[in-house]
Amino acid sequence: MTNRDGARLLALPPSAVLGRPTETLADVGATLEPDAVWLLGPEREAQAFARTRRAFDAPAFHPPLETSGEPVSRQPIETGLEIAVVRSLRALRASPADVSSALSDPCSRSTPIAVVCDDVTTTTRPMALETGLEGAAELAAALPPGRVTTVLTGGVPAGYDELWHLAAETGAVRAVEHEPAFACEPAGDDCVSVRVRGVGPVEGYGGAASLAVLELDETGVAAVDTHERSEFGLEAVSGVGPKTAERLADAEVTTRAELLETPVDELTNYPGVGRDGAHRMHRHATVLETGEPRRLTDESLPAESGRPPLCLDIETDGLSPTILWQIGVYDPVDDSYRAFIERDDPDDPAPVLEALCDWLFASHPDRALLTWNGWRFDYRHLGAFVARHVPYYVDEWESVPKFDLYDWAVREGHALLPGRTNKLEDVAGALGYESAETGLDGAQTAAAYQRFLRTREELDWARHEAYCEDDCRALWHVYERLRDAPRATDSSDTSPAEAEGATSTGTMGGEQTGLGDF
Amino acid sequence: MDTDDTAIEDGTEPTDGSRGDVPITGDELLETFPRYRDEGDVSVLEISGREASTVPNDEVLRPELAEPLEHDLYAHQAEALAALERDENVCVATSTSSGKTRIYALQIARNVLEARARGERSTAYVLYPTKALSRDQERELNDFFDRLGLDISVRVYDGDTDPGETRRQIREEADVIISNFAGVNTYLHDHDRWARFLSTCDLVVVDESHTYTGVHGMHVAWVIRRLKRMLEYYGADPRFALTSATIGNPGEHSSALIAESVTVVDEDGSPAGPRELVLWNPPARARADGADDDSTTAARTDDEADDAVVERVPASVEAPRLLSHLCYHGAQTLLFTPSRKLAELSVRRASTHRRDRSRYYANPERGSEIEPYHAGHSRTKRHGTEHRLKTGALDGVASTNALELGINVGEMDATVQLGYPGQRQSFWQQIGRAGRGTRRALSVLVAGHRTLDQYVATNPDYLLETDVEDAVVDVDNDAVFARHLLCAANELALEEADAGAFAERDRLERAVEMWRRAGRLAGHLETGVSYVGPPRPQGSISLYATSGEEYAVELADGVDERYDPEMEPLAEERVLRDFHEGAIRLHEGQQYEVVGVDHDSPRPTVTLRPTDADCYTRTRTDVTVLDAVSEASREIGEFTLHFGRGRVLVYHGTYDRVDVDSGAPKEQGIPTENPPLSIDTQLCWLEVPDALERALVERYREFSLEDEDGIAETGHLGYAGGLHAAEHATIGVAPLELMVDKRDLGGLATLSIDSHLERERGEDGRTDEAPRNVAAAEATVRQIADGLEHEPKSGWFIYDGIDGGLGFSRAIYENFEAVAGRARELIADCDCGRVDGCPACVMDDQCGNDNQPLHREAAVDVLDRLLGNESGEALEPDAAESEPGGDRRPPLFYS
Repeated sequence: MTNRDGARLLALPPSAVLGRPTETLADVGATLEPDAVWLLGPEREAQAFARTRRAFDAPAFHPPLETSGEPVSRQPIETGLEIAVVRSLRALRASPADVSSALSDPCSRSTPIAVVCDDVTTTTRPMALETGLEGAAELAAALPPGRVTTVLTGGVPAGYDELWHLAAETGAVRAVEHEPAFACEPAGDDCVSVRVRGVGPVEGYGGAASLAVLELDETGVAAVDTHERSEFGLEAVSGVGPKTAERLADAEVTTRAELLETPVDELTNYPGVGRDGAHRMHRHATVLETGEPRRLTDESLPAESGRPPLCLDIETDGLSPTILWQIGVYDPVDDSYRAFIERDDPDDPAPVLEALCDWLFASHPDRALLTWNGWRFDYRHLGAFVARHVPYYVDEWESVPKFDLYDWAVREGHALLPGRTNKLEDVAGALGYESAETGLDGAQTAAAYQRFLRTREELDWARHEAYCEDDCRALWHVYERLRDAPRATDSSDTSPAEAEGATSTGTMGGEQTGLGDF
Repeated sequence: MDTDDTAIEDGTEPTDGSRGDVPITGDELLETFPRYRDEGDVSVLEISGREASTVPNDEVLRPELAEPLEHDLYAHQAEALAALERDENVCVATSTSSGKTRIYALQIARNVLEARARGERSTAYVLYPTKALSRDQERELNDFFDRLGLDISVRVYDGDTDPGETRRQIREEADVIISNFAGVNTYLHDHDRWARFLSTCDLVVVDESHTYTGVHGMHVAWVIRRLKRMLEYYGADPRFALTSATIGNPGEHSSALIAESVTVVDEDGSPAGPRELVLWNPPARARADGADDDSTTAARTDDEADDAVVERVPASVEAPRLLSHLCYHGAQTLLFTPSRKLAELSVRRASTHRRDRSRYYANPERGSEIEPYHAGHSRTKRHGTEHRLKTGALDGVASTNALELGINVGEMDATVQLGYPGQRQSFWQQIGRAGRGTRRALSVLVAGHRTLDQYVATNPDYLLETDVEDAVVDVDNDAVFARHLLCAANELALEEADAGAFAERDRLERAVEMWRRAGRLAGHLETGVSYVGPPRPQGSISLYATSGEEYAVELADGVDERYDPEMEPLAEERVLRDFHEGAIRLHEGQQYEVVGVDHDSPRPTVTLRPTDADCYTRTRTDVTVLDAVSEASREIGEFTLHFGRGRVLVYHGTYDRVDVDSGAPKEQGIPTENPPLSIDTQLCWLEVPDALERALVERYREFSLEDEDGIAETGHLGYAGGLHAAEHATIGVAPLELMVDKRDLGGLATLSIDSHLERERGEDGRTDEAPRNVAAAEATVRQIADGLEHEPKSGWFIYDGIDGGLGFSRAIYENFEAVAGRARELIADCDCGRVDGCPACVMDDQCGNDNQPLHREAAVDVLDRLLGNESGEALEPDAAESEPGGDRRPPLFYS
C-alpha cells in the first residue's frame, strides 16, 4: 500500500461517517492512506463534514459546502493533480460557462483530470425500457464538446463506468458505450462525451455501506476499489456488528486495542454477546493487531496428512460464465504451475476442460484439489461445465477430493485470519505474500476475455496468466501459514502489537458478489 | 305469513330418499326452514347429472400401471394421458374431484418406469399455489404410488423445508419435487445445485393454474420462462401439464403462462349426480327483531361495512342458519365463508340458531358436530378436521376458500355459500364439493348485499350459462419483464439464443441496453450478458407487485403476535389507496388500523394495529388520464372502441370515516398525506357517436344537481351522468366476464376524450413535463379542451390500476360487448327506482366525484345503442334541434 504512483482519493458516503467513532475513521485513514477525502453529496451534511475534517489528516471536501462562491472549484489532490468540483447541478445550470472556463483555464498549472458532481445519476424507467442520465442537459451545456470528460459521482455505485455521448446542443443521449476501459474515444465535435464513473456505496447483503478509493494519475482515474465499512475499527473484529460497535463506543471502547483491554466478563454484559463470542472477539482482535493467524480447533487442515493438494483457480468471462477460459493449477510438490487456456476458439468451452481432465486424471489421479471459496465459485462452475461439456468425465470429476480453504477457515470457523477482508489477496498480503502485482482483478480479467470473445482482439495473455498463477501460489502461501499457525489461547493477555495495515474483517457476505471479491 | 318460531314438530325428520342422495331437497328446505318468508326471494334450479365416460385402462397404460388401478380411466384422463404420450403439453380444465391429479401422477409413473427401463432417471417438478396444498398432495401422491407398488419418492421443497442436509438430499434424490412459484423464483439462483433434478426433468405440473392471473399471473409466467431456460441449459425438455378449474379460455391462458402451445382437455368424463341449486336472498329484516339483535350487530361490524343500505338480513347471519338446518336434517354440509373470522363466527351462529329455535329443533344433539376450518389453524388441527370430514364424524364445516382448492376431504351432501364468491369458476369449484358420485346433491347460495350478489340473485340464469370467466394473464408489462430479465441474466448469461426464445429481440435488446446503462448488466448478447448488480436479484421480485416497491405489512410494536394478519406484501398502488395512515381495513374478519406507512426506507412498510371501531374508511380518489395513445381500435356500430397506453394520474388525497351501521359519513375529507401516483398503463376507451350524444344531451337537458359548485350549470349534466354511470357499471360487472379484481381497474367518464389523448409533439421533440399533481393535470386537460379546433368525442376510459398494466383493459377491449351487456342488465334491472342509482347498480364507493352526477336512464340509452338494442323512442329527431357549436360542451370528466 505504500509504494505507488499517483494519488489516492477516498470517497466517503456520509452514512459511513455519521454515528461512528473518530477512532474508526482514523483507522480508515491509517489503512487506506488517502491523499484527499471527498465526503459525498448531493445532500448537505455539515456535521459529517466537520467530523471528516477532524478525523483525516488529508484535505477534505464536500461539494455542497464548497464555499468559494463559484459554482465550480478546483481541488488539488497532489502536486500537479487536480479535479474540478461542481457544487450542484443547479449551480451548473445557472452558469455553465464557469465550468467550461474552469476546465480550460490557461492560467492554471494543469487541466483537471475529472469533474466531480454528485447530482449526476442514472434514472431507470422500466416501463419505457429506458435509462436516462440525470444532468445530461447541464453537462452538455457546460463540458467541452469533441472530447471525453470524466465525471465522478457518488450518485451511482462504485464500479459504474459508462461513456455517455450527449448531443452538445440539447443533451439528448446519442449513444452509450459500455467498455470505456478498453476504448474511450469522443464521438465528434457536436457531441459532449461524458465518462461517468460511480464512487457511491455498493449494495451488498448488508445494505449499501461501502466506501470507495480512487487511484488517480495524470491520465485520469486508474482504478476504483471498494471497501466495506465493516473492514474498519471494531467492526473488523469477528462478532462485532454495527449495533455492538455502537454500544461499545458508548462505553468508550472504540479501538481494537481497547477491546482487548476490556475483560471478557464485561463484554458478556452486552446484548447478544455470549462467553464464547467474547473470547472469539478477543482472539480475532489479537490476530488483527498482530497479523498472525490463529487456529481455533484441533481440526487438521484439509489434505494435511497426505500429499499436498493441487491449488486451483479458474477465470471466467463473467459471473454467469459461458466459458471457463483459464484454469490454473499450482503443484506445491515440485513447485510447478500449469495453465489451461482457451486462446483459439472461445466459442467452445470443452477443450480447456478436457485438457484439464486429461492431465489431472492421467498425471495426478490421487491428488486432492484446493481452492479459495471454491464451493461457491470454482467447483460450482467446474461441476456444471464438466457435466455439460465433457460428460464422460463426470464420475471421475466427482470422485476427486475437493477442498476449500476459505470454507474451512471462515465458514467452518477453524481459523482466524488477518487481512482487511477475506479476499485471497488481502489475506495473503497480510500473511506476507509478495504479489506479482499484475494490476488485475477477477472482474477485469473477465471483461478482457469477454472483449476477446467479441472482437477476437488478442489480450495480453502473459499478464492474465500471471494473474491466475499468482492466485494459485498465494493460496498455497496461506495454506502453509495456516498449517504452521498455533492455536489461539483463551486469555486476552496478548498485548496488542503494532501491526501496520493489519486490519481485517471476520465477516463475509454469504456469497461472491463480484469477480473482484476473491 | 310470518311463521316466527312456530315449531313444525313434524316433517323435520330427514327425508329418506333413495339411499345416498342428499337427505333434504331444495323444496323440503323451503318447507322446513323456520321463518321463511317471501317466495320471490328464493329460486330453486335443477342441474342435471352426467354419466361417467370411461376408457379401459389397458388401452392407455402399460400393464404394470393399468392392472393395479381399481377403476377405469375417465375419458378426459385418458385423453390427457394420450396427449402427453404424443409429447404435447396439456391443460385439463374439468370439474372439482374429476381426478386431475391422477393424470399427472400416472404420467410421472409412466416417465419413471420408462426411464428406469433405460437405466436412467426421470423427475417431475410439481407446483401448487399454496403450501397447504403442497403438503396435502405430497401425501396423496405418495399414497397413490404406494398403491401402484412403485418406488417413487415425492418430497415437498419450500420455505418450510429444513435447510441444509434435508434440502440437499431432496434435490439429489427425490423423483418428484413439490413446490410453489415463489420457491422456484428463489431456487433458480442456485440452479447448479439442482442440476441433477433439472437435467432429468420430464414433466412440469402447474396445478390450479387458473389462479395465476393479474399481477401474480404475469410474474408466474416469467418465472416459468426462466425455469424453461434453465431446463434447456441442463438438456431437459419436459412437457407441461396444467390443471385448471373450468375457465372460459383454458388454452389461451395456459399458452400465455408457459409460452408454448397446449392441448386443452375439457370434456369431463367423470360422473356427476343431479344437483339442486337454491339461490337464497335473505328476507328483509324485521324492524324490531329482538332475536336477531346480537348477531346482526356483530355481523355488520364484520362484513357489511361496504354497504350503505342494509335492509335484508345479512348473509353472514342467514348462511350459518342454513348450515345448522341442513346438518340437522342429516346432510353433511360445507359452508364457504369469505373470512377466517366468519368461519369461526358461523359455527357459533349455527349453534345459536339451534338454541333459539329449540322448539323446532327438538333434538339439539342431532347434526351438531360443526367445526371451523381455515389456514389460521395449525396443520395438525386442519388434518384432524379433514379426516373427520372424510370419515363422516363431522356433520358440517364452516371454511374459508382454503377448502376450495384441491384438498381432499371427500364429498359432501350439501354446500352453502355465504355470499357469491365473485367468480363463476370459484362458484362451481366450491359447489363441486357436494355430490357423492352420481347421487343427488344440494347447494345453497346465500346472497349478500353487494352488486354482484344481487345481480346473481336476480339473474339466476347467469350461473347456468355455459361460459365461465376468462382468466387474464399478460406478459406485456415491461416493468415486470425487466426485473425477471435481471434474474435470468443472473442465472445464466443472456445470449443470442434468448432473442426470440425468452423475449422478442427488440424488447430484449432494449431492456439489456437499459440495464447496461444503469450498471446492472454487462456484456453483449453475442458473447453473453452477465448480471453485475446487487446480489440475488431474485429476492427483489415481488410476486404481487409490478415494481420492486412492495410494502411489508407489520404489526405495531407490542401487539400480540396472534393478531398478525399474515398478509402478502402490498404493491405501492394498493398502499396509497387502501393503506394510508389512519385507514381502517378489514382483513380476514379482523379490523386493523394503519398506524404508520414508511415510503422511504429501503424496505417500505405498512404498520397495522388491530382495532375495534364502529366505522370504516373510504378513500376519495381523483383521477385523470393523459397522453393516451391508441394502439388498436374497432367499430361497434357507430361507436369506436380503442385499446392503448397512457398515463393515469391517481390521487387518493382524502378519506372519509363512515359509520358502519348507517353508512353515513362521520368525518369527511381527512387528508391522507399521500403523494399522487402516476402510472403508465394500459387502457381502453369508448367514443360515443356525435349524433347519439346530441340526442341524449337534449333528452336529459333538464337534469340538474343540487350542487353549488358550478358544475350543475350545464345542460350536459344528464348525459355526462349517463356516461359516468355506464363507466361505473362496466367496471362493476367486469368480474362477471373476466377473472379480474374490480379494484385493479379504474375509469374516467369524459365529455372530451380528445383532451386526454397524446398531442402532437412539439418541434424540439420533447413532450412537456408531467404535471406534478392531479389539479395541474386537470388544468392541462381543460386547457387542451379549450384549444381544440374540433368538437371532441365523449365517452369513458377504463384503465389497469397497476403500473405497466395487467392486460385487464385489453381483455375488456376484446370482450366489450359482453361486459356492456352485463352492465346494461345490471342498471336496467335494479329495482332501486332512483335516477342516480344505488350501491347495487351504479354507485361506487371509490368514486372521486362522490357519485355525482349519475344518470341510470342515460346510461341505459348509451348501452342500448352500443349493443344494437332497439330503443323504444327514436332519438334522432331531437338531435336536429341542437345547433352545432351553439352549445359548446364543458370539459367535464368524472372518475
